Amino acid sequence: MHRNIYPFAAIVGQEALKQSLLLNAVNPRIGGVLIRGEKGTAKSTAVRALAALLPEIEVVRGCPFGCAPDRPDESCDRCRNSRQPLEKTHRQVRVVELPLNATEDRVAGGIDFSLAVRQGRRALQPGLLAAAHRGILYVDEVNLLDDHIVDIVLDAAASGENIIEREGISLRHPSRFILVGTMNPEEGELRPQLLDRFGLCVETAGAEAPEERVALMQRREEFDGDPTIFMRSYAEQNQTVARKIEAGKARLAAVRMPRHLRGFISELCTENNVAGHRADLVIEQAALALAALEAAPEVTVDHIRRVAPMALVHRRRETQPPPPPPPEKDRDEADDQDQSQEDQQQDEQPPVPEEQAAESRESPDEASADDDHAAPEPEQGPPQPERQDEQIFDIGATFKVKPLASVKDRLFRRGSGRRSRTRVSQKQGRYVKSCLNLRNNDIALDATLRAAAPYQRARRNGNPNGMAVVLTDQDIRGKIREKRIGNFLFFTVDASGSMGARGRMAASKGAIMSLLLDAYQKRDRVAMVSFRRDEAVVNLPPTPSVELAGKLLAELPVGGRTPLSAGLAKTFEQVRNVLLKNPAARPIVILITDGKSNVALGGGKPVEEALGLAAAMARDARVRHIVVDTEEEGLVTFGLARRLAAALSAEYFKIDDLKAKTLVDIVKGQQ
Amino acid sequence: MKINPVYPFTAIVGQEKMKLALILNVIQPGLSGVLIRGEKGTAKSTAVRALADILPEIDIFVDDPFQLAPGEEDDTYREIARALNLPGADNGHLPAAARRKVRVVELPVGATEDRVVGSLDLEHALKKGEKRVEPGLLAAAHRGILYVDEVNLLDDHVVDVLLDSAAMGVNTIEREGVSFSHPARFTLVGTMNPEEGELRPQLLDRFGLCVTIEGIAAADDRVAVMERRAAFDDDPDGFAGRWAAESRALAERILTAKRLYPRVTAARERLYEIAQYCLDVGVDGHRGDIVILKTAKTLAAFEGRSEVLSEDIRTAAELALPHRVRRQPLMEIADNVQAVRERTKERRI
Repeated sequence: MHRNIYPFAAIVGQEALKQSLLLNAVNPRIGGVLIRGEKGTAKSTAVRALAALLPEIEVVRGCPFGCAPDRPDESCDRCRNSRQPLEKTHRQVRVVELPLNATEDRVAGGIDFSLAVRQGRRALQPGLLAAAHRGILYVDEVNLLDDHIVDIVLDAAASGENIIEREGISLRHPSRFILVGTMNPEEGELRPQLLDRFGLCVETAGAEAPEERVALMQRREEFDGDPTIFMRSYAEQNQTVARKIEAGKARLAAVRMPRHLRGFISELCTENNVAGHRADLVIEQAALALAALEAAPEVTVDHIRRVAPMALVHRRRETQPPPPPPPEKDRDEADDQDQSQEDQQQDEQPPVPEEQAAESRESPDEASADDDHAAPEPEQGPPQPERQDEQIFDIGATFKVKPLASVKDRLFRRGSGRRSRTRVSQKQGRYVKSCLNLRNNDIALDATLRAAAPYQRARRNGNPNGMAVVLTDQDIRGKIREKRIGNFLFFTVDASGSMGARGRMAASKGAIMSLLLDAYQKRDRVAMVSFRRDEAVVNLPPTPSVELAGKLLAELPVGGRTPLSAGLAKTFEQVRNVLLKNPAARPIVILITDGKSNVALGGGKPVEEALGLAAAMARDARVRHIVVDTEEEGLVTFGLARRLAAALSAEYFKIDDLKAKTLVDIVKGQQ
Repeated sequence: MKINPVYPFTAIVGQEKMKLALILNVIQPGLSGVLIRGEKGTAKSTAVRALADILPEIDIFVDDPFQLAPGEEDDTYREIARALNLPGADNGHLPAAARRKVRVVELPVGATEDRVVGSLDLEHALKKGEKRVEPGLLAAAHRGILYVDEVNLLDDHVVDVLLDSAAMGVNTIEREGVSFSHPARFTLVGTMNPEEGELRPQLLDRFGLCVTIEGIAAADDRVAVMERRAAFDDDPDGFAGRWAAESRALAERILTAKRLYPRVTAARERLYEIAQYCLDVGVDGHRGDIVILKTAKTLAAFEGRSEVLSEDIRTAAELALPHRVRRQPLMEIADNVQAVRERTKERRI
């Protein structure tokens, strides 16, 4: 399609980004690049611009997979088994876009139904993975891609082959592509497995120098004014870059890698504590590409130094827990990390006790400074004596939450999000099986054809309409699909005086905030109930606005006695309302308390009453309960929250248990 | 098919900022839309619907569901026509051109992904063996205005699709055996009530401008609102007729500004002002700079000037930055950018 593409050579700044793309164009074995960065930093522009610069390759004429004529070992079955000599032709290396709304059959390839129906032939309609063979597969906003699509892409990227076993087709074809993805980390992180598939990773940020910003504005305005003239004025420079790529490609095979430098590379990798060996290989290939690009006869230490950061950023493992830089982190700190990849400053981050909590509390502080109604905030940090009057505590340090999800059932739901797997009543997600009733006109092709097959002879005799397959209404089958959607998270927060002791409320708020940030990325709906003095209040009725919850949380006051029963009753009432409105909802109730109930609803003992209520609440199997115990380990622990959890048949966590553990845990949790 | 006359744009009382933002977008569609945040009953939707009144005309092909531009997008038309069996597919003849007003296409909150991106009638395909693509709302909105009421309540997956096309100006369908793309450059206009929750930053950034509006405080104006509304409800046609002259004048002014825009220049110092502004306030990326420049140029054109002044930049920043001031997912949107700028400056000193 005719499109005006911003010329690559006209992109201002973003050297690392441009460099990484060029390296990949020169040497496909690097394995692609992930571009992480804030909005509006030419991420997508650069990738699209690159397409215009890519060299030509030799392909077999008419082969849907674009096989190389001289490499039968890597060809598709048809090319390999062809008796005649293969006809050759040239075409440019392609950039194939994988849009977010792509369905499985278009990605992997599916049955070509017009052929099937008209001629009764079973033929493959090649998918995007076929089109991307020997080219670039580009996924914009790769972190928003549906999980089942990610799996297909991962599979192909890992084996260099796309294996189709679906809709009655069984076929394999080569699919070696350079995976290029862009993402904005605020919208959620990538799965570690997918992360590792990207050879390089670069971070982009806006330029700080006014000159650069001005140059950028001018060029953009010129481009928008008259794209054709603008593109022509950069054609020459673009050509230079294209020639550089071609020359680099030609030289690549001749570039040598001195032996001792391999040692240097592996040392670099060990030092950075990376998982697996991919980093070593990527650095080597990238260094070779860089040397080729710069017309050097062999790789030098300098080449390695320059490419290593790009290969290590996303693979470096901390010796201790939480990995990816979460969005809640202070911006400046995150920026520092980008610039000085070498120093291991993340190491200071993990364990979050007292002093550290005080330090990282600065970031939410800044947030509330922007509101005009920032409440007077008491000094926090050193242990505080217990006080009875009302206080508002800051939000403590946040962390990455371990995965929480509901179990799968047979109900159909609709929605979006990324928490729990469910069957969906919309045209999205993975096709798991077919059924008789058709929803949303979502036809399961394979099942429909199978259903029609036995009657074909009889029907054709009666009604010859020129089609190879005659279908009637009774053959039509629908698809059942599965995907992840958001849950309903219900926070019940103990805001009594006992929670105010020793910065416990700050830590609890930190934990809730972490859960909220997690909810934001998984697109959950949230609600919040808090209880203190002698009543429970609904602070936040059910809403998809996690922002609102965050704001309310910051303002939540603490003080007074603990009416746990009232809190439970209010929660029950709210959850019941949600379930009445939407019986298929799967609420997760998260109860944050130390369990020390001292106000009863009726006349009984407060603790006993709460436990009784809890047992009653546990009877509804649709609701999942989680108790987060905020009681401090000390000489005397009451363990009341644990008893409460048992009564609720809830999962029981200490705040620390909520944290995502290691890379390994994350991977396990997702399987 | 005009059933209900719309309330005239020029008859809306107050809400100058919102009206300005909308007008600027009509003059220069490259501003990529406006987000209107405000409480209930502040004429948000009325204003957007009223836009229809003052929109300019564009050239189109007769009966083209994809709203392509004759002359500029001829090749695209042939390509799509061939893929979809549109008229003129076989012989490369193009259909006749016609003129019509720029359209406001509404995206209802409950819209499914199918309706938005377009879909294939698979049942038809199976029985008759031919593909029949139903163009979606994105096709209808090409070169027009895509209006999303309560944009913050939109399903997330629809938002993702919207983001995709808004970013590229192209809608790519890769689903259910259809592989197909068509241009979809539209001005995204969204309204929302922040009480119902904020938008994701990524989507926020796609709106060129953002205005927050409130109910009018002055008693006189409130009375005027009531009077005009009552007059409109009593006799919509008569009311619209009374404002017709003003509407025409505004439409004329918009056309003049549209023609003037390519000749508007901004001195280098002005560009530095913009860059400095964005650096002071702290915005993500460069989209802020680009949008301010465009907005300032459009403002100048609207005022009939061919030179951008500093005051244009100040006004433009007030429209282009509120939603871009660097913040984390759970933070609030600034109301007053100038104030933010001063505050950050102070903090630095």
